[in-house]
Amino acid sequence: MSIVKCNAFLEQIDEWMEGERSPAAEAHLRGCADCRNLIADLDSIRDTASSLAAADPEPPARVWTALRVQLENEGLIHEADSPAVDTLRSWLRGTLWVVPRPVVAGAYLVALVAVGFALSGSSSLRNDTNLWMSRTQRSTQPLSASLATEEDAISAMANADPAVTASLRKSLTVIDNDIALCEKSVREEPQNEFARDYLYQAYQQKADLIAQVTEGTEGQ
Amino acid sequence: MKTPFSLLKSLNWKVAGVLVPSLLALSALPARADKIERHFKVDARPVVTIHNPNGTITVRAWTKSEVMVVATRATDQVAVDAEQTGNRVDILSRQVSESASPGSMRADYEISVPEDAELQIHDDSGGVNVSNVLGDMNVETIAADVDMSDVAGYLTVKTVGGAFQCSRCAGRLEVSSITGSFRLIDLRSQYVRAQTSEGNILFTGQFLPNSIYRLKNYNGVIEVRFSPEDSFDLSATSLKGKVHNEAKLDPPSHHHFLPRFGNALFGSYNSGRAMVELSSFDGTINILKRN
Repeated sequence: MSIVKCNAFLEQIDEWMEGERSPAAEAHLRGCADCRNLIADLDSIRDTASSLAAADPEPPARVWTALRVQLENEGLIHEADSPAVDTLRSWLRGTLWVVPRPVVAGAYLVALVAVGFALSGSSSLRNDTNLWMSRTQRSTQPLSASLATEEDAISAMANADPAVTASLRKSLTVIDNDIALCEKSVREEPQNEFARDYLYQAYQQKADLIAQVTEGTEGQ
Repeated sequence: MKTPFSLLKSLNWKVAGVLVPSLLALSALPARADKIERHFKVDARPVVTIHNPNGTITVRAWTKSEVMVVATRATDQVAVDAEQTGNRVDILSRQVSESASPGSMRADYEISVPEDAELQIHDDSGGVNVSNVLGDMNVETIAADVDMSDVAGYLTVKTVGGAFQCSRCAGRLEVSSITGSFRLIDLRSQYVRAQTSEGNILFTGQFLPNSIYRLKNYNGVIEVRFSPEDSFDLSATSLKGKVHNEAKLDPPSHHHFLPRFGNALFGSYNSGRAMVELSSFDGTINILKRN
């Protein structure tokens, strides 16, 4: 199954989730295990959200911030000209918005896994060194670009305890350093799942930290 | 010769010379610290939430069906709100003035709770100490250290730079940090997951049968200390760092399924009744005998 066909399917995912299913999309899904898994995950998120939405319909804003930053960091949504990703982002946002707070973290992680898995392609594609390298290189750019913004956000916490801002600054530096070293390792040894795991973990920490800084700034 | 007016004028300047610096000095002093005490009657398994941007939070269990909050404010620039809704007590430190300095925002808490209380604590800087509480706990800090002893339940601790120490903790423990170090001492937990980027992790105590221990960092030292009576399956991997091992391990039966990157070590110690997974990207892993 080619990437183009998967992308074409992802462009229609909003309609699919709303029940509008074209024969072409159904045909694609029958032959593509990755997209089937993605749909299963999204169904699961939606079902969980629906069953628990009544409990607390206000998820924290930081959830979407963290999700967005993570997706950008992984090079998955910073390409503004990708309608498939925009559609998926829009659907996820709409879905996560009704998820109650205790469920959000779990749903957010499931969504990340699902999106990362789907957009990295089939198993053979995941093993494609060039694809991985290309994604890894793309992912470095938004991280570097966002550093100045994060510094601005920390500086904006004018009333914050110096110990807090120092800790946040130090941690951002540490994570950026970890990411740089992990990316170097992945470039040198693209098949090393251990290094990839650490790289994803570092992205996750960065997203969480940015969300925390954003929350701190908004709280003032 | 000085006229009465010139005398008065000169006296005023002298008085002003004494008074103004004194008043300036007084205004520079923080407002008087004060203590606030509140009591709340609660039922079984109450929920206590504490949100304190700056200061220490000490929580202890006692035998009364009551939550007692003793707050000490550094200045009157910080307000302490404590209110009860049903079986829940919410405690919050709040900034009174927009121009309050970080130091004036400090509030320290000593809180006594029933031992089955559930705790949700948020403390940016200062410190969190919890002892003898057996309910579930969620603690989030930025720079504040967290120290727990003789606690149980489902414990989740998240710090950015704060260190974490847990002594004789039971239940399930999940702790994560970016630059904080962890000391896990004589745990009684069935599941332990500890993850930090640049911190050290020390585990010393018995590995309980049928328990899982996952310790992970990016850099720093992971050190576990085992005794001859312990029984565990071990997996230890450091991609760029070293693994030092004093345990005599039997090779795993399905070693061909195990991924091997960097410096890796797999095997069983005694009959392998606990599962111990240690991983580091660039740090050192020490598996040492406990004295």
